[in-house]
Order: sequence, then C-alpha cells, then structure tokens
Amino acid sequence: MATTFALQLVTPTGVVFEGEVEEVTVTGPLGQFGVLAEHINFISSLVPCALEVKRSGGAVQTWVVSGGIAEVKDGAMTVLASGAETPASIDRAAAEADEREAGEKIAAMSTFEPEYAATLDALMLARARAAASGTSRASH
Amino acid sequence: MASLKAIRRRIASVKSTQQITRAMKLVAAARLRRAQEALVASRPYSHALARVADSLLTSEGINVAPPEDAAKAALIVVIASDRGLCGGYNSNLLRAAEECRRAAEREGLSVGYFAVGKKALDHFRRTRAPISAQSVDNLPRLGTIGLARKIAARMLSDFQSGAVSEASIVYTQFKSAISQRPVFERLLPVARPERPAGAPAAVPIDYLVEPSRAELVPVVLRSYLEAAVFNALLQAEASEQGARMTAMDSATSNAIDMIASYTLEMNRARQAQITRELMDIVGGAEALRG
Repeated sequence: MATTFALQLVTPTGVVFEGEVEEVTVTGPLGQFGVLAEHINFISSLVPCALEVKRSGGAVQTWVVSGGIAEVKDGAMTVLASGAETPASIDRAAAEADEREAGEKIAAMSTFEPEYAATLDALMLARARAAASGTSRASH
Repeated sequence: MASLKAIRRRIASVKSTQQITRAMKLVAAARLRRAQEALVASRPYSHALARVADSLLTSEGINVAPPEDAAKAALIVVIASDRGLCGGYNSNLLRAAEECRRAAEREGLSVGYFAVGKKALDHFRRTRAPISAQSVDNLPRLGTIGLARKIAARMLSDFQSGAVSEASIVYTQFKSAISQRPVFERLLPVARPERPAGAPAAVPIDYLVEPSRAELVPVVLRSYLEAAVFNALLQAEASEQGARMTAMDSATSNAIDMIASYTLEMNRARQAQITRELMDIVGGAEALRG
C-alpha cells in the first residue's frame, strides 16, 4: 500500500514545494482536514491557514497560505495558493499588530457590508501568520 | 562650417547621451531577464489552475453570464508603462486599446477604461476618453500579484454588480526580446474552453467538492481572473523592458555614428585651421622678405 503521495504547492510566483509526503493538513471553509495517500478525487477551496506537511520520516514542514484551492486527483494533490510563506519569514510582532487591527475592524462591521468577507479573510490570514510564527519561535 | 570649439562641445554632449542610453540598455536587459524568469515561474500555477477550472467549469452548467439587467457597458483594462523611452511600445499598445474600444462600441457597449501606467492615463486624458479607474507609478515593478489582485477585484465586482456586461484587457504580448505584439482579450464573461475539432471531449472527473459547487465556482473564477491578469502584467513588463532595450540599443548605435561623423568634421575643421595658420605664417614671411 502506498503510504506517500505526490504534493505540489504552487503560487503565482512559482512552485513552492514538490515532492512525496505522508500527510497534508489544511483548512477549508468547513474546517480543518487532512489528506493521506489514496484519497478520493476531491476539490476544496481553502481559507487563509497554516498548511502542514508531514514528510516520510516524520519531519513536519509548515507554510502559511493566503487562501486558494486544493485538489486531489488520481492520488496526487495540488494546492493552488494565492500566496505562501514560511513561518521563519514572518515578523511575529507585525503579524500580531495586523491581527489586532483586522479584529478591531471586523468588530465594527456588520456582516452585510460588502467588505466584510475581505476583512474576515485578512483577519484569518493575520491570525494564521501570528500563530505560525509563534510555533516556529518556540521550536528554536 | 561650425567652429572647432562648437563641434568639440557637441561631441561631448553626444558622448554623455550615449553613456546614459547604454546604461539604460543594461538596466532594461537585467529587468527583462527578471521579468522572463517571473513569467516562467508563473506557468505551473496557471497550468494547474486551468486544469482545475476546466474540469470544474465543464462538468456542470454553471452560470457565467452577467446579471440579466447588466448595463450595456464594457470595462477595458489597458496596461501601458509608467515611463517612456521605449520606442513604439506605448503608441502601439494605445492603438490596440482604441481598436478594442471601437469593437465594443460596435456591439453597442459604452466603454470605460482602467488605465494602468502613466502613459495610458495621460493618453486617455488627452483624448478625453472615459476613465473608470487608474493605477499609475507602479514602481519598481508592474508584474506583482498585488496589482493583479486589485485589477481582478475591480473587474469582478463591476461584472457581478451589473455595472458592466463584459471586461477585457489590453496588453503587449511578449514573444521575444525583439518582438512584442499588442493584443486584447475578453476575460469576462468567461469563455468556455474551446476544444480543438476532432479532439475527444474531456471526460468529466467525478470530484467530491467542498463546500459546494456553487460556492467553489466563484473562488475558482476569482483565482482564474487573477492569474490571467497577473500573466498579462508579467508579459507587459517583459515587453516594456524588451522594447526599451531595443530602443536604447539603437539610440546607442546612433550616438556612435554621430560621434564618428562629428569627429570627422572636427578633424577637417582642425586641418583647415592649421592650413589657414600656415598660410598666414608663409604669407607673413614672404611679405618680410619682400
């Protein structure tokens, strides 16, 4: 039985990751989900979140993706992210400031405002960035 | 004939112009290389996205038409440069923009431009063309995903609110460093992917779709539009640098030719002066002897 599968993480500015992995964890609009080998053909949109990749041997790699689409087709997974960054490249203080700012903005908004969805996205991205930069800091 | 001093001054001025054009050529060449690399790097994303969009948009009859009561209007995004000195790059592009406008007007649509780049904005202001939006001084680089996102968001919101019934983009397609072609493409409403005649229809793949097709399609549509705009921006950037490189190369060789002909003129003038002085001396000596 195949225990690994091919993952490709691509953004408009290039291929970020390409290789065999054991497990991928991402968050869609319905919540977090994991993908293992031999997953059924599947498409989901992604919300801004941390994308966790477990490589064969147990090493875990993380990227913060700013939304996109995940597809599993014939056992291979493609993640089309509009942006991806490594936790090490994130400035934690700036990310936390962004999170506070987006949180204040959204608290003052009604859900019917046209900018609500975009602001919510910004908040989720800021939250994911702040959290991811925290975990990388702790592991050093 | 101009005086020796005037010619020398002119040579010095052409030389400094030549230095500038040569430097600009080198800068354009470096930027061109970077733009080409970005263009190559963006390809895996567009290919993967086209595959997903293709299987999703063909697998079910989804609504890609504008709202019923949409205004008969078109948004035309024109991607020109912020700076000049790039040969016929902008004038060729703006001619294509006018052509795109005429084509839309023939279909009874009123046109609003989205001017990207100072040269497009200046031109539309001068010709009193309707400008719906603008983005200028996109320095240092035009080909950024942020700008693509901004343009795509505007196109999509105008289209979905019914303010326009179609949206097009005019940009310069990059073929090679010396060959660029202005093109216009209609991005909205989305055209169904065309199948080459005789090719078997793609077998729709059975996907498990989350959260639902109805919610996923707008996400795919937005990504698709962003990728298309981003690609146009990158091509425009590469074309601009290619055009500038060619223009600066010919400016540099013109300067070399000018320096050569001025040098010849200068040598002639100097020789004439020497001859004249010699004649004076000889004439003076003859006069003393006599």
